[in-house]
Amino acid sequence: MSVAAERQAKTAKARSGITIAGRNMSGNAVREGILGWLFASPWIIGFIVFTLIPMVFSFYTSFTQYNLLTAPKWVGFENYETIFQDRYFWLSLQNTFWLVFFKVPIVMITAISIALLLNYDLPGERLFRTIIYLPNVLAGAAAIFLWQWILAPNGLFNNFLGIFGIRGPSWFTDADWTKPGLIVMGMWWIGGNIIIYLAALKGIPTTLYEAAAIDGAVGWSKIRYITLPLLSPAIFFQVITSIIGTFQIFATVYIITNTAGGSGTNPALGGPEGSLMFYVLYIYNRAFGRIGQGGLQMGYASALAWILFAIILVITMIQLYLSKRWVHYDS
Amino acid sequence: MRLRHLNLVVAAALTTAVIFSGAGVRAQTPEATPAPDPVEFQLNPDVSGEVEFWHFWASPVRNNAIKRVIAICKQKLPNINVTDVVKPFGDIWTANLAAVAAGSGMPDVIVEDRPKLPQRAADGITQNLQPLIDRDGVSGDAFWPFTWEQTLYEGNSYGIPFETDVRVLFYNRTLFTQAGLDPNDPPSTWEELEAAADALDKQNDDGTFARIAFHPLYGNGGYSVWGFTNGAFPLEGGELPNVNTAEYAETLDWVQTWNERYGGWQAVQDFRATFGALPNDAFMSGKVAMIMDVAGYSSQLNFYRPSITLDDGTSTRIDWGVALLPYSEAPSSYSGGFALSIPTGADGTEAGWEFIKCAAGHEAQSSWARDTYSIPTIISAVYDPLLMVDPNWVFFTQAMESSYSGGPFFAAYANWQEQIDQRIEAVWKGEITAEQALQEAQQGIEETANQ
Repeated sequence: MSVAAERQAKTAKARSGITIAGRNMSGNAVREGILGWLFASPWIIGFIVFTLIPMVFSFYTSFTQYNLLTAPKWVGFENYETIFQDRYFWLSLQNTFWLVFFKVPIVMITAISIALLLNYDLPGERLFRTIIYLPNVLAGAAAIFLWQWILAPNGLFNNFLGIFGIRGPSWFTDADWTKPGLIVMGMWWIGGNIIIYLAALKGIPTTLYEAAAIDGAVGWSKIRYITLPLLSPAIFFQVITSIIGTFQIFATVYIITNTAGGSGTNPALGGPEGSLMFYVLYIYNRAFGRIGQGGLQMGYASALAWILFAIILVITMIQLYLSKRWVHYDS
Repeated sequence: MRLRHLNLVVAAALTTAVIFSGAGVRAQTPEATPAPDPVEFQLNPDVSGEVEFWHFWASPVRNNAIKRVIAICKQKLPNINVTDVVKPFGDIWTANLAAVAAGSGMPDVIVEDRPKLPQRAADGITQNLQPLIDRDGVSGDAFWPFTWEQTLYEGNSYGIPFETDVRVLFYNRTLFTQAGLDPNDPPSTWEELEAAADALDKQNDDGTFARIAFHPLYGNGGYSVWGFTNGAFPLEGGELPNVNTAEYAETLDWVQTWNERYGGWQAVQDFRATFGALPNDAFMSGKVAMIMDVAGYSSQLNFYRPSITLDDGTSTRIDWGVALLPYSEAPSSYSGGFALSIPTGADGTEAGWEFIKCAAGHEAQSSWARDTYSIPTIISAVYDPLLMVDPNWVFFTQAMESSYSGGPFFAAYANWQEQIDQRIEAVWKGEITAEQALQEAQQGIEETANQ
């Protein structure tokens, strides 16, 4: 330690007299520390009570047979062993991965494209921005019912396709088209993504584009070498949240599977040929005994939930690792 | 349990009294039917308290009806205030379960799906009402026997039956007349159904259907109910459900002929997607000429009084009739229904119990039946004089005679039907045969039940 540093340390010690974790802290610093924890405490208490404790409990119940009302019965790894032989586990996983694989990139590319268009200061840009965001403020369930009508075999969307001589598919009654139907429907809520991209685009200094223009860059080159790299933190955020959100799709498919089939199909089995049995819907159906042996199967459902947690965790870790190669935080 | 095996005074009395103008359909008002004395349960008007009552009857017809039941009980139990809360069908039981598990927020009285009541009892969601039943001398004999038995779990009752139903064929007499069929002679067998369909189907120029006569999977029920009309009763006569039978396979093959008639399963599903909610459903819109639905559907028809456009472009109100479900083996139907229960942990038990006794009694159930055309679970209310003047009502009570409750609760695998459901679309799409599907389903039932 240099002489100057030694002197500084002595002075600091003389001022405070309190040592925390080997560090000297002044009275102000201690007070600030306590205040900081107090300010954070609502969140911390909320996290512990409503997230951490339920998570620990659900981890425990995943090794039990549990119906919510009587004490859980320990069964060891039985739930996990059964899950891997469970046809609907694999089906729901397959459906969910399909949606993540197709929906996330399609939504992302569409949202960025629209954001780029809105970023040109054209007349009416504000109006379009409002219109595009508007669906996000409407109630979700009502919009889902609306879209069931729009995507009905003789609905608005197919009638629109009919103008161009295209015979539209049976979106939510044909197993091959249910998931593409969800992607089309998902475009309704794209406004939230667009706003984030637009905000990020507004943050890119125009000087960079001017400099590039002087160097002879035009059109796509500007987007490729300036816009996209500088948009990458926003894209990364969207990729992470969209993947997690798509893995957790529930309300939409819960409503569709419960209303679309009629008496010809069992609503607990995930719509036409199980094509809408997504992972969280399967967890719900198991938990509340709509599928499987009968009665409430909270233990089995907890085990399913922990497997999903592990899958999302691994994918997010990979994303974080890969992000070092393509996300640029400096402008 | 087959209701026809039960010694039902009601059905016997009505059968003798009813005179038919067609093939067992348009019944005349019975004369001098010996109605049993109205059964009311002993109420204790001194009991006071607040009762939160959860149900799912949101349609104008049913919502008014339940409000009237509550008003009747307010007169009889002046110190009890009942607040009814409408919850969506299906979600009501999940919401109740969450509240019971949390130990607070559950209603004092809830409408339970009666066939599922033993499962709720096994899960500990509903209270055992037997001590209260014994204390107050409530007799199960006053109810249709199958409705009472469905409330039992390990010999104790977990709910008091409130409303049952019976599935019948609603047919559009207006369309019958237009097609040159006798509106007083609806089909009574599967063969007659097909013959009527030939006259009623209407195709567009592009080969799609503008109107279809009938499809067994439209309406309120499903292939299992049609199985009953072909002698397929999976829960009769064995420890395990037996679905791998010739009768069941024949039924599925028969349903498949209807899929084929209307262009295959996908076309049938697409046509279904063009129906809306009441009053734009399959039957009221005139898109389907005959449909299976519960007796209570007639109250909706009376309420909405739907009109259709005829082939000559004129608009007219639908004149409709009711008939027994067309059968292959013998007339049959399915009767489900509900019960009033008290969730575990509810604190207004005494007040809730008084309300249940009142709502399940003769006067309240008669009122409910007049408004909704649901069959009362308490037998004396079936004879309500205001209802008995309607020939359709007489017919519904008679249809109960050949109805079936679905069989005993199969605790080892409550969702056993899902084994067929999982394979049924493959049958409809022609990927596997009905025999194959039922064989695999049977295997699945046995494996799961023995786990």
